[in-house]
Amino acid sequence: MKHPARWIALAVAVVVVALGVVLALNVGTDPVAASKESRLIGKPAPSFDLPQLSGERVSSDDLAGKTVIVNFWNEWCVPCIAELPALKKFWAAHANDGDVAMVGITHASNLSEKQLARYVERAGLDWTIALDPKSRAALDFAVRGQPETFVISPSGEVVGYQLSETRAQDLEAMLAAARGLG
Amino acid sequence: MIKRVLPWLALGILVAGVLVVVLWPGDATTPAERAHSIAAGLKCQECQGLSVADSNASTSSAIRADIKRRIAAGESDGEIRQYFVDKYGETILLEPQSTGISLIVWVLPVVVIAAGALGIVFALARNRREPRLHATDADEALVGREREREASE
Repeated sequence: MKHPARWIALAVAVVVVALGVVLALNVGTDPVAASKESRLIGKPAPSFDLPQLSGERVSSDDLAGKTVIVNFWNEWCVPCIAELPALKKFWAAHANDGDVAMVGITHASNLSEKQLARYVERAGLDWTIALDPKSRAALDFAVRGQPETFVISPSGEVVGYQLSETRAQDLEAMLAAARGLG
Repeated sequence: MIKRVLPWLALGILVAGVLVVVLWPGDATTPAERAHSIAAGLKCQECQGLSVADSNASTSSAIRADIKRRIAAGESDGEIRQYFVDKYGETILLEPQSTGISLIVWVLPVVVIAAGALGIVFALARNRREPRLHATDADEALVGREREREASE
């Protein structure tokens, strides 16, 4: 090797260029964007069996064959409160649809069950409200924050996902997609 | 020959020792230590800048409980980490994985340091190979004259 320093410089340059090419090819894999997507999309929805505020239980088996809107929320979460009008509007339009169910799942609530029941009544939330005291369902759905909404098709597949505040039109679009797949 | 090789051998042993100390995997042996070690490498999903081990968020508690359950079920640390990566994506890891494209993050600094070390070795070797300059009689005479002139001043 006549000029080893030149060969080393060339090797370093090749590595740097290779790194640049690899990084350029991976510009599309934005970690921030990836953290706002759900890996459950297109996969079977996790099963759940949770207590309701009414004392009854609600399970994914009970809702099989329906389009199910699963909304993780909490009474202390500001965006959750902000999206309640959209959820109410959506549910007012579909409460009588036999093929649609909506389940609000609270985990890590600061309120007792009684206080939460009063809150739900006062806020006029007339869809199913379930409790997830050990956050098992939140873990199964790989929840990242709140509010978080999943739409499950009648065949049991997760077809819609919204991290953060959702709008009535978003829910309508996801419902239409779920019905199309059902 | 031994005199020339000895310093390099000592340097090699020192570097190898430092690498072993730095890179040797931690010996988390009890289930609780293993659970803490795994949780410390996962990012809290509902808070910022905290690991699952340090967070009081409900999902972090659930993840910690799930890690313990999986350890009790006989899953390896790698399998448990992979389970959460499959579930949440690589963004759940506080440190990039040492596979795939993430490998670059670990390999590149080593490559650059190794290249730099090689460069120094070759530079020193070249310096040693180059002939040393010896003073000619004319040089010696010139220096002698200068010394005499300085002494007489």
